[in-house]
Amino acid sequence: MPPSPKRTGLVFFPAFDWAISPTHPEREERLLYTRDQVLEEGLLDLDNIVEYRVRPATFEDIQRVHFCVPDEASVTTESHLISAGGCLVAADAVMNREVDNAFALVRPPGHHAMRVVHGNRGFCNINIEAVMVEHIRRTYGVKKVAIVDTDCHHGDGTQEIYWHDPDTLFISLHQDGRTIFPGTGFPNEMGGPNAVGATANIPLPPQTGEEGFAVVLEELVMPLLERFQPELVINSAGQDNHYSDPITDMNFSARGYAALNARLQPDICVLEGGYAVESALPYVNVGIIMAMAGLDFRNVREPNYDREYRPQSPDVTQNVDRLVSRLRQVFLKGKYEAPSHSPGEVLERKREVFYDTDGIFERQRELIRVCRDCAGALGVESAASTGNHVFAVRIPPNACPACRRTAESWFEQAAEGTFTQVFLQDRDRDTFERA
Amino acid sequence: MPSSDALPLILGLDVGGTQTDAVLVSCDGVVASAVKVPTRADLPATLRKAVDQTLSGTGPDRISRMAFSTTMATNAIVQDRLDPAGMIVSAGPGMDPQGFAVGPSYHVVEGCLDHRGYEARPLSKEAVLAAAAGIRDQGIQALGLVSKFSVRNPAHELCMAEWVKEIFPHPALGHQVSGHLNFPRRIATTYLNAALRETHERFVRALLGILEERDLRAPRYLLKPDGGTVGLEESLGFPARTAQSGPAASIMGALALDPCPGTTLVLDVGGTTTDIGLIYRGAPLLEPYGIHLGPYKTLIRSLQTRSVGIGGDSEVRAEPGRPLRIGPLRQGPPAALGGPAPPPTDAMIVLGHLDAGDKETARRALEPVAAALDLDVLKAASAVLDRMAELIADSVGAFLHYINARPVYTVREVLEGVTIEPGHLVLLGGPAVQLAAPLESAFGLPCSVPPHAEVANAIGAAVSRVTCEITLHADTVRGTVVVPEAGIDQFIDGEFDLDQGMIMARQSLEKAVSGAGGAEDDLEITVTEQQSFNMIQGFSRTGRNIRLNLCVTPGLIPGWPRRS
Repeated sequence: MPPSPKRTGLVFFPAFDWAISPTHPEREERLLYTRDQVLEEGLLDLDNIVEYRVRPATFEDIQRVHFCVPDEASVTTESHLISAGGCLVAADAVMNREVDNAFALVRPPGHHAMRVVHGNRGFCNINIEAVMVEHIRRTYGVKKVAIVDTDCHHGDGTQEIYWHDPDTLFISLHQDGRTIFPGTGFPNEMGGPNAVGATANIPLPPQTGEEGFAVVLEELVMPLLERFQPELVINSAGQDNHYSDPITDMNFSARGYAALNARLQPDICVLEGGYAVESALPYVNVGIIMAMAGLDFRNVREPNYDREYRPQSPDVTQNVDRLVSRLRQVFLKGKYEAPSHSPGEVLERKREVFYDTDGIFERQRELIRVCRDCAGALGVESAASTGNHVFAVRIPPNACPACRRTAESWFEQAAEGTFTQVFLQDRDRDTFERA
Repeated sequence: MPSSDALPLILGLDVGGTQTDAVLVSCDGVVASAVKVPTRADLPATLRKAVDQTLSGTGPDRISRMAFSTTMATNAIVQDRLDPAGMIVSAGPGMDPQGFAVGPSYHVVEGCLDHRGYEARPLSKEAVLAAAAGIRDQGIQALGLVSKFSVRNPAHELCMAEWVKEIFPHPALGHQVSGHLNFPRRIATTYLNAALRETHERFVRALLGILEERDLRAPRYLLKPDGGTVGLEESLGFPARTAQSGPAASIMGALALDPCPGTTLVLDVGGTTTDIGLIYRGAPLLEPYGIHLGPYKTLIRSLQTRSVGIGGDSEVRAEPGRPLRIGPLRQGPPAALGGPAPPPTDAMIVLGHLDAGDKETARRALEPVAAALDLDVLKAASAVLDRMAELIADSVGAFLHYINARPVYTVREVLEGVTIEPGHLVLLGGPAVQLAAPLESAFGLPCSVPPHAEVANAIGAAVSRVTCEITLHADTVRGTVVVPEAGIDQFIDGEFDLDQGMIMARQSLEKAVSGAGGAEDDLEITVTEQQSFNMIQGFSRTGRNIRLNLCVTPGLIPGWPRRS
C-alpha cells in the first residue's frame, strides 16, 4: 500500500553555538550533518513539511514537572529552555491541527532527567518530553498519553517522572541495562502502586537488529498501545541503537528507524540521544521525517549500508523471540504478582541517584499515598552531595480531597523542618510554591 | 532641476508585463529623461523603441553605463519556451531522484557522494556515456550534470563533464550554480541554465546589436532578482540568474530615491499586481533559499519579495452585505478609458485624484458598486481605495509573519529575536500618489512617494551594482577546501583555520565579482555564515569543519547620492 502524505511539522534546533564541553559528544556539531542531509534532500521544500521556529520554555513550564534545586536558573541554560521550548512548539502545532504530526529535532536531550534536578545526568538536565506532555495536558486537556522511548539507553528519567501516573503509558526499548548506562529498565519495573502496568521495560540483547525491533514493535509495543488507547503517542526518538553508534552496542539502521515510525505513527517525535553524528544521525533523521510525512522511504539507507550492516545473528533472534514471548505473558496476559496495598496507606521507597555528567550523588526517600481516586500525594526528600537537602511535595492533577490533605500536611510539616528548601507543586491548581 | 550637460549619464530600463520604463539619470542623481512604452511580444523591438525614445538625441558618448531588467528568461520559463535540455544525475540513497525529473530526457546514473564529500559509490562511466548518447540521439543539444552533494566535492560532476565532452562541450554543472545545499533545487537550476542558454545567447546578441547600431559602447549589465547586476556578456554562463528581476528593480529604485530609514516597506503598485519588499538598515532583505520560477524552485539568490494580485486595474466585485473583493483578475482598462468595468483607477478618477479618460463614464461605471454598498458614488470610490489599501496591508501582514517566523538555529539568535517591523512606507508605481492616504491609514505608518516614483524600477536597474555570492566549505579531516562558485577544490592541511578560510573566501569573491563584470575594489561584503566546528572522534578533536558564505551586499553604484 503506498503511504499517504501527511502534514509534518519540523522543529529544528541544532544549537550550533552550545556544547556541554568542547569535546563532549553533546556538542555544537552534533546536528550539523543532519542539517546538511535534510537540506540536500530538499525535504524542507515539500509542501507537506512545515518548519517551525523554536521558542524558549518558561520556568513555569519546567515547574509542572521538575523540582529544580536550588532553582531553575541554576540547573538550566538557555539551550535547555530552547530545547524544551522546541518540543512545546511541536506540540502546539499538532494540538492546534496545523499539522498531522511533528518532529522536534532539538538538543540537548532530556530523558535521563528525573523529577528532582540537582544537575546534569546522562547529558540531560530537563526532561523535554515530560515538560511537553504536561504542557499538552494543561493547555489542551489531554489525559492519556503514551511515550515510547526508542533510545538505546533506558529512559530512566521519564520512567521516574511517570512512575506513579496511571494516565501515562511509558514503554522503553533499550539495550539491556546489565550492559550499558544507566543500568536500569528491567521488566519488573512496572510502575508505582497507583500505576502498576503503566511502565513497560523491554531490555534488548546487544546486537539486536532490524528484525528484532520489528518483532518487539509488533508483538509488544503495538498491543500495549492498543490496550491503553492513548489520546497521543510520543516517540522519544533516540538514535543510538544505530550500528555505527560509538557508545552503544546495537545493530539498528536508518531504514529500521523509518519503518518503526511508519508503524508506530507517533503524533510527536522528540530527538533524544544518538552520537554517531556523521554516520547515523543524518540518515536516521531523514528516515524518520520521511516516515512521519508519509513518504516512500525505501531508498533511505546509509551510503555504507550494504558493506557495513550485518543482518541480525540467529542467537540474537532467538534471544529476542524468547524475551518477547516471556514479556507478552507479563505485560499482556497479566502474569505478574501485583502487590496489594490498601487505599490510604503511605508507602516509602529509598533510592540513590548518580549524576554522571556533574558528579553529584543524591539520596532520596519517597512517600506515595496509595489511592484509587487519583495518582496519589507524593513527597520526596532529597539530599545531594552539593549540600542541598530538600523536601518536595506534589499534588497530582484531579487530586482527591484525601490526597490533597495529605500532601498539604506534608508540606506544612516540612516547611517547619530543617530542609534547605521545601517545594509544593500543585498540578490540580497549576501552582508552584517554595518555602 | 536640469542636469549639468557635462555629467555622464546612465541608461536604465525595466521591462514590465504591460509597460517598459526607461530612464536616463546623471550620476549625481538627477533624472534627465524618463519614458514609458508598451511592452510588446517582440522583446528586442520593445527594447529598441524604449532606448531610442529615452535617448532622443542624447549623444552615445555621454552614456557611461547601461543596465537592463528584462523578462526574457522569465517569459521563456513561464511560457514554457525552454530549449530541450537533457539531464544526467547521480544521487545515491535518500529521496527518490526520479521525483526530481525535469526536461525531456532525464537520466539517473549510479554514483554517490556523502555529506562530507567522500565517494560512497563510484560513478558508472558506462551509464553516463549511455545517457549522453541517448540525449544526443533525441536531437538535444543542451545538457546539465548534477550529483548529490557536488558542492562538497565537485569530482563526480567534473568527471561526467570530461566523459561527455566530445558530445556536449559546454554542459551546465550543478556545483557552479550555487554553493548551497539542496539537490532538487540544484537539478532544477542547472536544468534552467542549460535550457535557457541558447535563447539567452540570442537575446544577448540582439541587445548587443541594438546597442552597437547606436554606438552605445559603455559597460552594460542585466539586473538579477537579488537586486544586483551582472555584465551582459558575463551573464551567458548562468542565464537563469537574470530571471524575474522586476521586483528587485523596484526595491533598488526605492533605495535610490528615498532615504529608507530603519526598516522600510516598499510597495510598487502596478496595473494588476503590487510588489512588496523590505529594506532593513539600508540594505534590501534577501530570501534565504532561492527564487521560484514558474514551477521550478531554484537556488538563484533573490530579494525577499512577494507579489499580490491587486493593482490599479484589478477587477472590483461588490455584493451587498459583503466586503469588496479586488483582484486578482483584470477585466481590461479602466472604464474611463473604455474598459468594461470599473477598477480602482476609475475610483481615483471619480475622486479627482487622477486626470485621465472620461470622468463621467467612470462615475457611471461605479454606480452599481455604490448601489451594492448603499453609498453615494464619491463615498463608494473612497471605499474602493480604502479596501484596496486594507487588502494590501493584509498581504503585507502575512508576509511579515512569514519572515519573522523563520527558524533560527543558534541560542544567540533565539535570544536576540530580531523582528522585522517596518516604521516607514515607500510607495512606487503609477497609482502611488493616489493611494498614499488610504495606505497611510491602513498601515498606520508614514508614507513617502519619492519623485519619479512612476519610473523607480528603471532607476533601480540603472544604479544597482554588481553582486556575487560565494560559499566556502573546508574539512581538514578530508583535507579539502571547496568554493564551488569559484571553481576552487584544493587540498589543505590540518592547520587550515577560519582566518585562512576568510582570506580565501574574500579572494574568491573578488575574483567572482570581476568575472561578473564588476570592479573588485571597495566591495561592500556581507558575511552571512561564518562557522568553524570542531570535528571529534571519540573524545578528541580530529579537525575542523569550516563554513563561510560571503556576498556583495545589493546596493547602489558608487557616487549615487543617498537621499536624506
